[in-house]
Amino acid sequence: MAELYELDLSSASEGLKAGKFSPEELFDSCWKRAQSCEKNIRAFITETEDFAREQLKNSGKSSSIFDGIPTVLKDNLCTQGIRTTAASKILGNWRPPYDATVWKLLRESGAILMGKVNMDEFAMGNTCGNSAFGATRNPHDISRVPGGSSGGSAAAVAAGYVPFSLGSDTGGSIRQPASYCGIYGLKPTYGMVSRYGLISYGSSLDQIGPFARTVRDLQLVMQLLAQHDPMDSSSFREKNPDFTHNPNVNLKGKRVALVKEFQSFTLDAPISDAMKHVEKILEDEGAIITEVSLPIISKYAVACYYALAMSEAHTNLERYDGVRYGYTVQDAKGIKEMFERVRSYGFGSEVKSRIIAGTCLTEPSRCEEYYVAATKVRTLIAQEFARAFENTDFILQPVTPSLAPKIGEVDEDEMKGYETDLYTLPVNLAGLPGLSFFTGYAGKLPVGLQLIGARWSDPELLNAGVVLERRLGSPKIADGGVE
Amino acid sequence: MKLSSEEVNEIALESRLVLSDQELENAVRYINNFLDMLDRFKELDLKDVEPFSFAEALECPLREDAVKPFANTRAILDESAHVENSLFKVPRIMEE
Amino acid sequence: MSELIFTPVIGIEIHIRLKTDTKIFCSCSTNTDVEPNTHVCPVCMGLPGSLPRLNHQVVEKGMLAGLALNCTVQPKSLFFRKSYFYPDLPKGHQISQCDLPIVAQGFIEVHDANGNLKKIRVNHLHLEEDVGSLHHSASDGRLEGAAISFVDYNRSGMPLAEIVSEPDVSSAKEAVEYVTTLRRRVIYSGASDVELEKGMMRFDANVSMKCSDGRWGRKVEVKNMNSFHALERAIEYEIKRQKKIMLSGGEILQETRHWNDAKGVTTASRVKEFYRKFIVEPDLPPLIIDQAWIDRVTSMMPEMPDVRAKRYVQDYKLPQEVADFLTDVKDLSDYFEACVKAGANPVRAAHWVRTEVLRVMNEKQIRKVADFGISPETLTNLIAKIDGGKLSTTQAKEVFDYMSANNCGIDEAVKACGISEGGVAGNMLEEIIKSVIAANPDVLDEIKSGRDTKGKKLKFLQGLVMKEVKGQAKPQEVSQTLEKILNA
Ligand SMILES: [Mg+2]
Ligand SMILES: [Zn+2]
Repeated sequence: MAELYELDLSSASEGLKAGKFSPEELFDSCWKRAQSCEKNIRAFITETEDFAREQLKNSGKSSSIFDGIPTVLKDNLCTQGIRTTAASKILGNWRPPYDATVWKLLRESGAILMGKVNMDEFAMGNTCGNSAFGATRNPHDISRVPGGSSGGSAAAVAAGYVPFSLGSDTGGSIRQPASYCGIYGLKPTYGMVSRYGLISYGSSLDQIGPFARTVRDLQLVMQLLAQHDPMDSSSFREKNPDFTHNPNVNLKGKRVALVKEFQSFTLDAPISDAMKHVEKILEDEGAIITEVSLPIISKYAVACYYALAMSEAHTNLERYDGVRYGYTVQDAKGIKEMFERVRSYGFGSEVKSRIIAGTCLTEPSRCEEYYVAATKVRTLIAQEFARAFENTDFILQPVTPSLAPKIGEVDEDEMKGYETDLYTLPVNLAGLPGLSFFTGYAGKLPVGLQLIGARWSDPELLNAGVVLERRLGSPKIADGGVE
Repeated sequence: MKLSSEEVNEIALESRLVLSDQELENAVRYINNFLDMLDRFKELDLKDVEPFSFAEALECPLREDAVKPFANTRAILDESAHVENSLFKVPRIMEE
Repeated sequence: MSELIFTPVIGIEIHIRLKTDTKIFCSCSTNTDVEPNTHVCPVCMGLPGSLPRLNHQVVEKGMLAGLALNCTVQPKSLFFRKSYFYPDLPKGHQISQCDLPIVAQGFIEVHDANGNLKKIRVNHLHLEEDVGSLHHSASDGRLEGAAISFVDYNRSGMPLAEIVSEPDVSSAKEAVEYVTTLRRRVIYSGASDVELEKGMMRFDANVSMKCSDGRWGRKVEVKNMNSFHALERAIEYEIKRQKKIMLSGGEILQETRHWNDAKGVTTASRVKEFYRKFIVEPDLPPLIIDQAWIDRVTSMMPEMPDVRAKRYVQDYKLPQEVADFLTDVKDLSDYFEACVKAGANPVRAAHWVRTEVLRVMNEKQIRKVADFGISPETLTNLIAKIDGGKLSTTQAKEVFDYMSANNCGIDEAVKACGISEGGVAGNMLEEIIKSVIAANPDVLDEIKSGRDTKGKKLKFLQGLVMKEVKGQAKPQEVSQTLEKILNA
């Protein structure tokens, strides 16, 4: 029989309910697997074995499918009494006095917290290397990045630490690591999952979402998380969407568009091959392949995104001053000195650059030209997407132009690096759902692609994912550098 | 228009960041590249465009005015190294 | 050479705490009579991951306050982040409606130097959160010279309305009338109690000077006034200071100055002006107020004090000065109205409220009429007893004092004061009169002999009778009965 850690969420839950194994046995298998991989992968910022074992004492009392299922959380999700760092020195050993809504929902359903996992500091980055706790490595090839910013969440699921995890996506931070790590990741529609307790980066762009090794597991997690939360004023207020898994869904008559402007952009061969392959499968499944034109998005989305993300980020990061929580100094002679010392030491260099950029853009003299202009460009982008979705059900596109890069292989010019986010960040600007799905392997490395839907089409998007998974096959657990 | 390192340093200080020479050099390059990137906006006619807001979330939800005390206030204070007699102690505010 | 004339141009910004049970963005209590940092939560402490949630009542109270200033409610308003670093500001930015306020375009009427009514335009009122409070270690408790300060975040997130006037104010006197009238109207609307001593109203003034020779002085922002008196003195000081500079040909610097109440001067702020920039608060969608809500709140608006005073003059025939006095404090005015409603004669009720009710409240240091023990109905009954001749005014006052001291009803008080209601009358009165006459035969003789042409002796007898009945007889009845007996 396979090891328990290899089970996906639904199978593990079925096994537990059928009494085939105990929650302890499941946890032990996952924990052992995590421990054997961790020296190579380094996904954890904080391991919470003791907390998990306490939780296990109460397992088996809930009928929830999450009861007794181990998970990990990106370390920008607040966990009461458990260190939460956002991968920054500035938070020190902060133990939040409250739970993020998503963790509250999972905890109350009996999910077991194995640990808080690595990310780029304050979710600013796409390698999971920009962390005060060091870089996490890709479980398929530990010389490569797992992607970011939710790299720890993706790596832990890909390597079989846990069957599912949560991350956050501000400009691709779920979809890109899911793709690099060869699993599924959903960035839900903005407003579908409560952000309460998510340490903000760009508040109007941030969204929490799940990682898993099957689309069905994404559906299970979404069924729990997609509910109104009064604690988040941007939380949707309609009735809960239905994420019920149906293995027999099909795509007959669905219109799937390719983006005209993206056709001329260069892609790594495995990715362009995967695009062609998936197109064929979709046609084969009865879908109609069309084309949409997104001229504003392809040209202005990157600039618009970074202008807004940084403008919001610098205000979100103003609270870190050493007075109330986190890293601090004791011997400052004045308050200004205290703030300066705390912030200059506490923030990493990428974060500092973005704070300065955000401050610069929103200065009274430049605000109109940059920040306000970006909010207007965003309107054009949302309108362009809305028009596109009048004539199409989904847009198929890459997640990234290349496969997971080597660690340390970064562009000297950050702006060029930012341009590679063109495939993911427009989705956040318009608040759309985006599914990053596994298509196969190119050698050791997994190849992922992305399907985008209109706002609130998350259930349909995951149904399309079910079809794609049926045809493309599910990913295998990565070797985790263990072998 | 390029920002000088003095200007960038000034902005950093407004954000309560004191940069090392190396950090400042990086930040100057970063900001100026970034502003170059944003100059693209000038190609667009944005005169009559409304700033973005989510169509569905058009309305701010309103909370009932009912007191619900936070149960864990002690835990909030316990996170600060500056608490004395339940007050947060901070150094001199007025610069000399 | 003609004399130069300087005209002050003054705009006033007022912060008022709105009356709600919870803070603006969280469910913490607004009660401040508690230990430091107890009414706090992740939201008002600005903890990472927390999100603001707008309080329905803050919006409604903001609308009420705005309507009291003759403003129009805006169907759509928005919150922004106003950034600056200060230890009492937990998020490093204040959530404020600064750029797109909930109500706009109102006015308040004041009297100008010639006694004519003049409108001070209110540009807008916007909602925002308060910051925590700072306690300083300096010996005088002030920020200057304090080596350390202590922060209490109980006040952080208290709901504020900031009211910004146009620069229509021309003197310190107008400024005081503006804020006084505004405060009275806001209290009437129910939006706030505006208790000055609790710091519920704070003032900033923008002062500049226009000179008859065409020169304009730059605008100076004067901060840190917490009372009407401080506002008046600060503006007077600043007018004098700026005039002096302009007279000597100097330039007024555009700056922020702090009012030092102890020294009675404004001083240039040593702290570099806060660097401010606004971005839209991404965690709060636009505030939409529909017409139905506006209508409902409009219908909740009570009569404003100036309007009410006018009615007192017209309908109740009260002198203007009495009407102004009564309408100054809403609950006192409401008390008066309740008396009238219960059937009291308005003029008499006004007199009782102004004199007796206020006297007892002052003596007992009662601040709210609601805490005053005698209900309007009881006072009305008491007044009715005077009018019905059952009690003399002196007796009624005695009863009133007893009731307020002992928290009892009229009957009990009357009994306790040893008063028999309706006083000494009829047979009893006759008997007393007869005994008084019997005790004073010489006086009787004088009257009978017709020598008492001026009625002095008769008055003397009446006085003796009144003394005998301890004032508990109607003078008219005494004189009638006395004459009857004498003529018998
Ligand atoms: Mg203000
Ligand atoms: Zn609170």
